[in-house]
Amino acid sequence: MVSRCRFNQISGGGVRVQASNVSSTATFHENWENTKMSQSLRPYLKCVRSSLTAAITLSNFASQTAERHNVPEIEAAKSPEVLLNPLTVSRNENERVLIEPSVNSIRVSIKIKQADEIEHILVHKFTRFLTQRAENFFILRRKAVRGYDISFLITNFHTEDMLKHKLVDFIVHFMEEVDKEISEMKLFLNARARFVAEAFLTPFD
Amino acid sequence: MSEVHLLFHQPIADHSFSADRSLLAVSRDTKTVTSVDIAPNTRRIVTCSQDRNALVWEPSPTGWKPTLVLLRINRAATHVRWSPDETKFAVGSGARVIAVCYFEGENDWWVSKHIKKPLRSTVFSLAWHPNSVLLAAGSADAHARVFSSFIKGVDQRPEPTVWGERIPFNTVCGEYINSSGGWVHSVAFSPSGNALAFAAHDSSVTVVYPSAPEQPPHAVLSVTTQMLPFVTLCWTREDQLVAAGHDCHPVVFEGNMGGWRLAYSVDDPRKSAGSGASQESSALNMFRQMDLKGKSSADDTNLKTIHQNSITILRPYEGRAGNVTKFSSSGVDGRVVVFSVKS
Amino acid sequence: MATINYRLIDVDALDPESAFPAELLTPPCDPIPTSEIQSLATHCRQLLQRGDQEAALVAALENVPYGGDEQGKELHLGTVLEILSSIKAVEMSPLLGRLYASPSGTELLDVLTKYLYKGMARHNNSASSTSTPGVSSHATGVSSVSGAREYGVAPGRGDGGGMSVLLSWHEKVVEIAGTGAIVRVMTDRRTV
Repeated sequence: MVSRCRFNQISGGGVRVQASNVSSTATFHENWENTKMSQSLRPYLKCVRSSLTAAITLSNFASQTAERHNVPEIEAAKSPEVLLNPLTVSRNENERVLIEPSVNSIRVSIKIKQADEIEHILVHKFTRFLTQRAENFFILRRKAVRGYDISFLITNFHTEDMLKHKLVDFIVHFMEEVDKEISEMKLFLNARARFVAEAFLTPFD
Repeated sequence: MSEVHLLFHQPIADHSFSADRSLLAVSRDTKTVTSVDIAPNTRRIVTCSQDRNALVWEPSPTGWKPTLVLLRINRAATHVRWSPDETKFAVGSGARVIAVCYFEGENDWWVSKHIKKPLRSTVFSLAWHPNSVLLAAGSADAHARVFSSFIKGVDQRPEPTVWGERIPFNTVCGEYINSSGGWVHSVAFSPSGNALAFAAHDSSVTVVYPSAPEQPPHAVLSVTTQMLPFVTLCWTREDQLVAAGHDCHPVVFEGNMGGWRLAYSVDDPRKSAGSGASQESSALNMFRQMDLKGKSSADDTNLKTIHQNSITILRPYEGRAGNVTKFSSSGVDGRVVVFSVKS
Repeated sequence: MATINYRLIDVDALDPESAFPAELLTPPCDPIPTSEIQSLATHCRQLLQRGDQEAALVAALENVPYGGDEQGKELHLGTVLEILSSIKAVEMSPLLGRLYASPSGTELLDVLTKYLYKGMARHNNSASSTSTPGVSSHATGVSSVSGAREYGVAPGRGDGGGMSVLLSWHEKVVEIAGTGAIVRVMTDRRTV
């Protein structure tokens, strides 16, 4: 579901066309990078999967500080003893996942690969699109944790409604798809930019 | 063979069978009822909930009659258990106290007395010693403790045990902690009451053998496992106990004062190949799954275990204390399952 | 006198009953001087030079400086990472199997898992401190093109190598010690 959201309108915004991006070598570079990616993506996602499985061991826990309340302890952070040590899984310095566990909720934050300016803008637009529709995604946090692009907040109520191993699958699937999606959007944007540049420059030919 | 009952598609926080197994009480989280217990002989049911209250339900010709208990706690009640002699029950809470409740005939009311020190966090679980005076509690401050809940006028002076001889109310008879920390999800006395087991969030089960009052214990045996944390324990024999939790299937531990070990898994997902047969997947698809998602098997919605989500409570089902042959489990997936133990 | 805003006083913080004891969050450990960690590092390096990686790893994992200061812990992390990267991929699983079978096997692998996560977290801290404004402005959601410019120049692709070593170690450890090892990294208040 997530991966099917497209941003066809994105190039209408503030993206400036740069001559260096409009070249056939960009496509070659992308393909080369994709093959290299799937080699090191597997251990990365496997590590994320096992870390998430270990972290999503939640139970129903009523607040100790507020009477008759039941809040995600990782967000409230009022009782230090129910918070656990955070885990970081990283593939390189630009791609990492932060897992912050607690007794009844965990926060998963993802830093998505951004190799250049275009990808940075695309990631920003993409995550903004998702977070603005956070209520439709149940586990999506409205605001990303500082230093990350997108955050999920999973509580014990989510693991009760949904199967916890499928929640893990979802996040791993999301991480896999989002890289692909950003690369695809970048290619699409480049192609469109080339087309626009050609159409624009034809009269001066 | 195990009996499976899918009751509803909602979490079951706790369950309890009546003595003749004709009645099953379950507590669902939708009403924030956190725990339930049936007294085998008096057939009284006690429930407690996150709205800070506990109710005693008594059978009457017109149905179950609830009585509110004067708990005097200001946070959620988490766990409730009848004492073996059924004159008292204990309620654990998020207010860092345990309320020990007993019936006061002159006021016609259940009143409570608080165990306060040295609890520093929410109490997750409680367990009674067979003598109905000693009470074990596991809490979020990573401690398992044994308290005295002796109430003058209600209890007879108990026989001396390894835990203590003269024990006024709120005496701490034992206090144990795990090296790698973790909240203590479950505590349980062995059938004889001479050993205490507790399960913590570091995926371990620890069994404590006390020697004498005020003395260091004979042995504190910890089994650290490769699995996800256990949240509930149930002794089946003096040398055997069952644990279950986030791995969705129970495992059996066996041992004695010399050492404990993980013996075998009940409902082991690796052995049940039944659900795997329906999946047909090409080799290409399999390798793509392995490569891209870092998981080895093809897409599977159903877990291979009977429970599809974490198990919350285990209870003895058949057999007398010290020789339990069947036990029941309830889980977040809304199932109650009866398993048998290998003899 | 009138400057105290009583509405902002956190009354819970003043209640001695409600405060959670700090010694339970950070269990007391004997302080270990950095010089001792340094000599351990030298010892491990000598074992490495002799080609005995297993002994070096065991020595490093058995003497965990829980009581060390930040500098000492950082030093020991460097030692562990150096040993880990000196071991060949084919030797990982047999070595871990032997470690796990030893009497204190679970503890050793738990400690190793702690170092793997710390190793993965360390690079991020150094990375985020070097490229400051771009990251922070992006995180708050008020990203600007000028902030993004740093991404265009910065990406260091060579750094992935160190992580892939840690990731493959992590995979092997979880195969042997199970998810329990990860759970214990989260619960254990004694951090490396």
